[in-house]
Amino acid sequence: CAGMPKAQRGLPPAERAVAEAHQQAREDALRAVTDWSLSGRVAVSMAGQGGSGRLEWRQQGDRFDIQLSAPVTRQSWRLAVGPDGARLDGVEGGPWTGRDADLLLYEATGWYLPVSALADWARGLRATAGGPAGEVYAADGRLAVLEQDGWHIEYAWPEAADGVDLPRRIDARSDGVDGRQARVRLVVDQWQVDAPRAAALPGSEGAGGGGG
Amino acid sequence: GAREDMASFTRGLKGLDGEFTQRVFDANGKLKETSTGKVAVSAPRQFRWEYLTPYPQLIVADGRTVWIYDPDLAQVTRRPQGVEEQNNPLGALVDPSRLDAQFTVTEAGQADGLSWLTLSPKDAADASFSSARLGFRGGALARMSIVDTLGQRTEIEFSPWTRNPGFAKGTFSYTPPEDVDVIGEG
Repeated sequence: CAGMPKAQRGLPPAERAVAEAHQQAREDALRAVTDWSLSGRVAVSMAGQGGSGRLEWRQQGDRFDIQLSAPVTRQSWRLAVGPDGARLDGVEGGPWTGRDADLLLYEATGWYLPVSALADWARGLRATAGGPAGEVYAADGRLAVLEQDGWHIEYAWPEAADGVDLPRRIDARSDGVDGRQARVRLVVDQWQVDAPRAAALPGSEGAGGGGG
Repeated sequence: GAREDMASFTRGLKGLDGEFTQRVFDANGKLKETSTGKVAVSAPRQFRWEYLTPYPQLIVADGRTVWIYDPDLAQVTRRPQGVEEQNNPLGALVDPSRLDAQFTVTEAGQADGLSWLTLSPKDAADASFSSARLGFRGGALARMSIVDTLGQRTEIEFSPWTRNPGFAKGTFSYTPPEDVDVIGEG
């Protein structure tokens, strides 16, 4: 597949303003959707440990359900997260419960996934609960890199999208998870998001070929 | 019954080569995913499981380490083979001593034109599945059905096997390519 779009450090101010407006329109449209899901594959690693598997993510309001299946026997775990805390099923010694979903998953499986932030990052949105974010936009006006909470996230987008753009792939890295390098690579095979049609991609008529 | 089919299938069996179609059903029985690929098994402890569709993924057990390569994710995961064996009853077929050591094998009658055996892991804590069933037709393994701890069911249908094939050199060895992350212990 085509590599990730060349992320220029910065677009000229006028183009950047257009890209920022497009991103804001996307965020408003997607935040209005409270029920969405994705299926794809994820690879997780932290300081040389981790794994990969088939991922299904279902969001309903402020609750989300993540199911992971590992290859061959599809050994899987399921993490259910809500405002009252998280519950992990399918892992030896389970079910596990805890307040912090990221910590619970890490303690039970050794996998580090920034779960709550990922609900936004996977859709190409700045995490609402996150700190200040920095964005770099590609020539086609789409988000190329998002930096937030010590994570550096690179985006690859589908060629043409009807309605709201959703990432085809994200590659997130952090050096700050208790001082160690963590990495999450997600390839999305299918999105189910019925978001209202966002504004047409600004400047797409004039801009060069799209990335992704 | 299935026990005789199993006995005749594993007698003198040193290696297997075939293709498979795998269907995964969620706990409510809804089909979630269909994939196809090739599988090779070689006594005593080597296997190669290659998914081709809908996306590529390679799993090679070289006797010491299990390698899982996801090209789209550019990541290789390696794990000591001991743990993996408990998860893959297919490998035990070419090493019957291991089959009896790891599983309690019981007859499970006829269904779908196959005669079935149930394999229950002796060390339930370690196994990643709650039950596995092997379906035989005409003395050959035709299907493997595994239910994991979340009630997700994986049905694997095998095409006619080649028994004791000559394997190409390197079938059961794996070296990660340059530009990938290699993670895991082992």
